[in-house]
Amino acid sequence: MSRTISLTLRIWRQENGTSQGAFETYRTGPISTEMSFLEMLDVVGERLTLEGKEPVAFDHDCREGICGMCGAVVNGQAHGHQQGTTLCQLHMRHFKDGDTLVIEPFRSRAFPLIKDLVVDRSAFDSLIAEGGYVSVNTGGAIEANTLAIPRKIADLALDAAECIGCGACVAACPNGAAMLFVGAKVSHLALLPQGQPERSRRVLAMVRKMDELGFGSCGNRRECEAACPKRISISNVARLNREFLKASLLADEE
Amino acid sequence: MHLDAKIPSGPLPEKWDRHRFDLKLITPANKRKYDILVVGAGLAGASASASLAEQGYNVKTLCLQDSPRRGHSIAAQGGINAAKNYQNDGDSVFRLFYDTIKGGDFRSREANVYRLAQISNSIIDQCVAQGVPFAREYGGGLANRSFGGAQVSRTFYARGQTGQQLLLGAYGALMRQVKLGKVTLLPRREMLDLVVEEGEARGIITRNLISGELECHGAHAVVIATGGYGNAYFLSTNAMASNVTATFRAYKRGAAFANPCFVQIHPTCIPAHGNSQSKLTLMSESLRNDGRVWVPEKPGDRRAPADIPEAERDYYLEDKYPSFGNLVPRDVASRNAKEQCDAGKGVGATGLAVYLDFSDAIKRDGLQTIEMKYGNLFQMYEKITDQNPTDRPMMISPAVHYTMGGLWVDYNLMSTIPGLFVLGEANFSDHGANRLGASALMQGLADGYFILPATIGSYLAGLTTKTININQSTFLATREEVENRISRLLATRGRRTIDDFHRQLGLLLWKDCGMTRNEKGLREALARIPAIREEFWHNVIVPGSGQALNQSLERAGRVADFLEFAEVMVIDALSRTESCGCHFREESRGADNEARRDDNNFCHVAAWEFSGPSTHPTLHKEALSFENVELSQRSYT
Amino acid sequence: MGRTSRTLSSSLGRKMLMAASGSFLSLFILVHLAGNSSALLGRTTFLAYVDYLHSLGVLLHFFEILLLTAFCTHVFLALLLFFENRKARPEPYAVVKSSGGATLAGQTMIYSGTVILLFLVLHLQNFLFIDRELPVADLLRTVLGNPALAVIYLIGTLAVGLHLSHGLWSLCQTLGLEHPKYTSTLDKKAALLGLAIGLFFALIIVVALFYPGFLL
Repeated sequence: MSRTISLTLRIWRQENGTSQGAFETYRTGPISTEMSFLEMLDVVGERLTLEGKEPVAFDHDCREGICGMCGAVVNGQAHGHQQGTTLCQLHMRHFKDGDTLVIEPFRSRAFPLIKDLVVDRSAFDSLIAEGGYVSVNTGGAIEANTLAIPRKIADLALDAAECIGCGACVAACPNGAAMLFVGAKVSHLALLPQGQPERSRRVLAMVRKMDELGFGSCGNRRECEAACPKRISISNVARLNREFLKASLLADEE
Repeated sequence: MHLDAKIPSGPLPEKWDRHRFDLKLITPANKRKYDILVVGAGLAGASASASLAEQGYNVKTLCLQDSPRRGHSIAAQGGINAAKNYQNDGDSVFRLFYDTIKGGDFRSREANVYRLAQISNSIIDQCVAQGVPFAREYGGGLANRSFGGAQVSRTFYARGQTGQQLLLGAYGALMRQVKLGKVTLLPRREMLDLVVEEGEARGIITRNLISGELECHGAHAVVIATGGYGNAYFLSTNAMASNVTATFRAYKRGAAFANPCFVQIHPTCIPAHGNSQSKLTLMSESLRNDGRVWVPEKPGDRRAPADIPEAERDYYLEDKYPSFGNLVPRDVASRNAKEQCDAGKGVGATGLAVYLDFSDAIKRDGLQTIEMKYGNLFQMYEKITDQNPTDRPMMISPAVHYTMGGLWVDYNLMSTIPGLFVLGEANFSDHGANRLGASALMQGLADGYFILPATIGSYLAGLTTKTININQSTFLATREEVENRISRLLATRGRRTIDDFHRQLGLLLWKDCGMTRNEKGLREALARIPAIREEFWHNVIVPGSGQALNQSLERAGRVADFLEFAEVMVIDALSRTESCGCHFREESRGADNEARRDDNNFCHVAAWEFSGPSTHPTLHKEALSFENVELSQRSYT
Repeated sequence: MGRTSRTLSSSLGRKMLMAASGSFLSLFILVHLAGNSSALLGRTTFLAYVDYLHSLGVLLHFFEILLLTAFCTHVFLALLLFFENRKARPEPYAVVKSSGGATLAGQTMIYSGTVILLFLVLHLQNFLFIDRELPVADLLRTVLGNPALAVIYLIGTLAVGLHLSHGLWSLCQTLGLEHPKYTSTLDKKAALLGLAIGLFFALIIVVALFYPGFLL
């Protein structure tokens, strides 16, 4: 079951946001195929440390595929080639001995680079701040079972709400668009009765912010859906379009 | 130090109401004059930040990660308890209270736990109003499931992502306040020290993880919601960056640390694969509803599970605990797995796992039914191990999961340092010696949404200090101490990596202060920890500089604190010679070999006060009195 | 800013205008294809169709202006979005690989669109900006009888097919026309329809080239 493989890594190294970056080449030495991708980077980092060099900086936290902190582009694909998988859940058994892996940061104008593979995704927080919530103060809630929600609708809302905010959709989109991210949040709340009062305001504000932040526009290329570790469907993008169209035409919003 | 829990008088169900009436209030117009710092943005931190800002306070929220949507509450799978009794199965506030007290093996406060049970219902209301997509019945009502340690179905859930959905709800509420200008959000900041002025918490020192700059933040109150310290063991189900630094620094500034030895070890985790394992992944304990736990009867039997005939399998939980079987509480299941592995009957490459077998359930209910129940967990298992649990039994192994110990807080969630409040897993308050499933989310949100927003005003109203000046000497002196520590770490330039030390500490704690503990082992650990720490400060390598993003430096600081904190854990474990909940002292067993509590000598909270470097900390005891429940020995046979 | 200009200045508004103009152009192409296929039914039918078109008079010119507007809007927005989107990723990836979503048609919209634009210049030169006295049937025979021109026309029509095979689905998605019950395989159906349109145009050209007698 467990074997070892050796890989050549070409990793993007960049001191900070303003400095010039370049690829550095590292050989991993024998790596157990039971390791995760990030554990493989740990091993390389430990070796670099012992050699007196700085290990590669990369974001990660839960290593269970749910916090959305990790992510890099491996051989041209966000989170690597395994579908529906975050980088931390990608295991080395999916690579072959002797493979060369090119590891780059998520690249987008809206995600400025901080160091090596670490990028600033706070643009996503700015998007949520525009309306990715229901404006209800603590204590002001009605009894939980007052509103019946069809099971199917709750399921669809959860399908959209599963987004982990990793940014792979933006990284994979040829246009660097954030449509899947915004579509997922708009869908989650547009589907539920709790989201209705702010339905139009939310979609208009989030779309406006999305343009402001420098994301590209959607070309319906479906790369976002294919790269999404939570397999969030582009039907949420269609719903975002629909919500936007409806709100633009009909809503009485400033 | 005097521990006054400030538990209100009166009958249990009326305590919280009465207390809220007695608390001093601040008028809405005056609230904007108070600054509050919230450290951490998991469930407790995010919900507290949002709720305090809604009331009008000026809130500054700081977190380690790049966004407040990433706290490790997000990884909670199973659900959140509430005493709604939607299932009409006899649940009530009192039953939730009783189950939690008993589950915690009678080492928590009655008043706190009762309040938690009371608030549980409002939490569900609040989360539903935020648009949290909980599971529903076909009729549109909320669905419930049963969970370990309870005989009623009171757990609300959103597939296997309940923690994520609740956190995103709180995160949304927080971001709304950011937009409204009531919360200043400072991500990628690590709290490295607490500033205490004239005995009261007045601010913190943080490191900006991008620029490396050390920043002083002043406030009228400081709220710590930085989670637990399970990563002291190196391998745990915690996130990689989870650490003890914020709480431990507060401890060193005078906050008592309560029950540090209470560490929950979860029985159903995916086994470690080898030396490069960086963390462990939990599999929801709901799996034990249908999976049967077994090991080969003969020690050292390396045959494939399918080749081991039924007669040569040892279903040890079912044999030992006929009435609970595979559903015994987490601590009992973990301990028994360890016992089997110690006897050489463990399976897997490392011999440290046991089987969790679904083949009988599949025979009984059909593959489809079982896959419908556990499909996503099976996929997760397969992703990590490359094995399909419907083909061959799952292998599971116990792992450090949750820490019931934490900073001591009174009924108002204030620590022994006035002005320092502690929420969620970071405090010790509600779970006693063992936490029940689906209770952590409940506690984090109760603290953040409802308790702290009610109690903090009373402290602030009594405050005489009106302005906080971060250019004062206390701030500057504290910052200098932090700076010196960082410089020392960077200057060491030794020969061993940070992880190497961390792993060494983890193995030691796992062996001597893990699932079972005894005096000999604990004394050994107590002797060895200072030696490891000594070597760490002379032989660790921390590459890079302090003036930039430096993940090695971040980890080094955390490990340095774990190396000090571990000693407090071990001291606590050593002094508590009884067995209770997760804390199993081999010396304290009953005739049946099971854990035996010693209520005569240990019916108390052990709160440790820092007494200076290389000095034994001082123990303060808060006696626990039980007026509404009867103390009984847990029995699952 | 007014509501309309605000909507149209947003990326989604622009995309919707792209989709709306695209829908109009797609409808035109369907009508155009129906008209062209009358050529397969013989000279008389084809000439009757042409005469009918000419008899529309002002209506035809109105339609032509509408068409020109839709076309210009579509091209202008396409170029605008194309160049804006290039700015969204200032530093390109060293390795570019699809994660599995992309199709050939989807990836080449700007290129198939450019081919269509160039082809149209030729097409209008051949059929619109000419001496109106010539019978259209003879014109058709002269143009498509020329193998070099016929090949260019083949390329043009296939570009239309490729463009539509992504465009038809894409415009539905952009206009938010999505329902799990009705549109779950819309992308595949739209792709087939688009390709079929292109191939049908191509078929007429092939027939005109090799069997001029049959056609007219």
